[in-house]
Amino acid sequence: MSDNERTTSAADPSPSVQWFAIIMLFVLLAVVLTPWAWAIISSFKVRGDIMSAGLWPREWVLHNYRRLFAETYYSRWLINSLVVSIAAMTLGTLLGSMAGYAFAKFQFRGKTILFWIVIASMSIPPFTTIIPLFGWMAKFGLINTYPALIFPFAASAFGLFLMRQYISTLPDELIEAARIDGCGEFRIFWSIILPLARPALGTVAILIFLASWNSFIWPLVMMRSEDMFTLPVGIAGLNSEQTPEYGMVMAAALVSCIPIVTVFFFMQRQIISGLTRGAVKS
Amino acid sequence: MANTYAEELSSKVTKRGEKRLARYLPRGRTLVPYFFIMPFFIVFGLFWIFPIVASIFYSMTEWRGITPPVFIGMANYVSLLNSPRFHQALGNTLVLAFFYVLAANLLALALALLLNAGWMRMRQLFRTAFFLPMTISIVVSAVIFQLIYAGEIGLIAKALSVFGLRGPVWLQEEGWATAAIVMLRVWRTLGYYTLIYLAGLQTVSSELREAAIIDGARPWQVTWYITLPSIRPVILFCVVISTISGLEMFDEIMILTQGGPADSTLTVAVYLYQQGFQFLQLGHAAAASYVLTCIVIFIAILQRLTIGRDLP
Repeated sequence: MSDNERTTSAADPSPSVQWFAIIMLFVLLAVVLTPWAWAIISSFKVRGDIMSAGLWPREWVLHNYRRLFAETYYSRWLINSLVVSIAAMTLGTLLGSMAGYAFAKFQFRGKTILFWIVIASMSIPPFTTIIPLFGWMAKFGLINTYPALIFPFAASAFGLFLMRQYISTLPDELIEAARIDGCGEFRIFWSIILPLARPALGTVAILIFLASWNSFIWPLVMMRSEDMFTLPVGIAGLNSEQTPEYGMVMAAALVSCIPIVTVFFFMQRQIISGLTRGAVKS
Repeated sequence: MANTYAEELSSKVTKRGEKRLARYLPRGRTLVPYFFIMPFFIVFGLFWIFPIVASIFYSMTEWRGITPPVFIGMANYVSLLNSPRFHQALGNTLVLAFFYVLAANLLALALALLLNAGWMRMRQLFRTAFFLPMTISIVVSAVIFQLIYAGEIGLIAKALSVFGLRGPVWLQEEGWATAAIVMLRVWRTLGYYTLIYLAGLQTVSSELREAAIIDGARPWQVTWYITLPSIRPVILFCVVISTISGLEMFDEIMILTQGGPADSTLTVAVYLYQQGFQFLQLGHAAAASYVLTCIVIFIAILQRLTIGRDLP
């Protein structure tokens, strides 16, 4: 429901009650936005202003941001995060859409049981898989490498689920017609199904990217040297130093949000539909 | 462009006979679906199924990483059963999850009911602003809240001192630290649950509500007897999802308290991380992770049986 299809009803509360509710919502909105504002203000403060009693900075400075890039591995963490998340997103979207297509449009032995295994795996805490994986990755020399962070996110159960849901709404006739015309099975998937499934692909890609970009426990366990950290681990490290430079920590936190918040504003509809889908329909 | 191509293709198949003919894969092509699922299941098997199953074995071993695991039967589970620190972690986890689930769902439901009202204005603004924290990582939200809760230099302490007041030192006092962690989580996920509840509310038939109002029902009666029962599946979904994520709290605790003060925010996840990756007792940690898995599944089933009774 959007703002312009406002409806009125006989049971609406009186205008004064309505205004009271809206004012309360604005109060809540202010509370919810305060942490953002505080982080932004603090990131422009000098150390003295953070430590002193005042709320407002006496002078606004950029040096927290400058030091972040000049004196820490921040740009390296940013690159690591991008590499890992983009790789996981690409691989995960491809694998998920291929498997989702098979589950949506083919009958095969073991289909039901495989699907239930995938769905059931979503309720298993990641802590159960990370322990053996840590041991094995250590054995195969994969600790402190990118693949250790890419593959755990490349098989997304939720991604498969969303792709299956979406592709099963596409008409069977498309596939059958292409088959009659002698189109190869992989080409049917690649040139017919994938372009039509673009909205769902976007959603799945974003969800996998977010999961990887925001992940903390995986890089915390798998990455050993500071130059291989991703943003969350790097930021946590800055924050846990003996005397943390809080202004710089805030700058680090805010810069790491820029890619995601930008994507969010451009693709809000897809992100929201991806995160809420499945909740209402099934 | 893709759409016109699709339409063109589908218009080609019109006769029923042709359709039936094409429904079956040509001979010798029964392996096609397996080709499509294979890449996913290779990765999924190696990085999900295999570790989950192997974890059962490792939980029955003494395993310190580099050296091979030694089978010791149920000893890890017995030592968990006898460990007061693990009991504390279990209790803390349940308390944190309980308050989080309660606060997040009640607030989100109230917000969604408000935002769903026909007379509400500026819905888009509220939805976006409340949802925004969900897109950033828990680590980022935790470091931001660190500078809100901190004694002396935190926003709350500074704001109170303007009025000459002194609040608690949030992260260093038992109880307050738990509350601080719950509030942070609620801040981060409120918009997410609100959106799910909103999506559910929009499926509730307005005719039913109008009819009840004409029959003289008060607005709260309509909400309680018509709206809420109709969105029970959505309530179940949100409660289950928030419970699972509440029981697995880890990131913000590592940033804010590391389980302190006096182990009052030590969760099972933090406990097993410390055991596994700080003390390299991987077998012991695997056992703890299985206890956590069982609790998660048990509570989810319990919720399905209570809130979700007689749902399809």
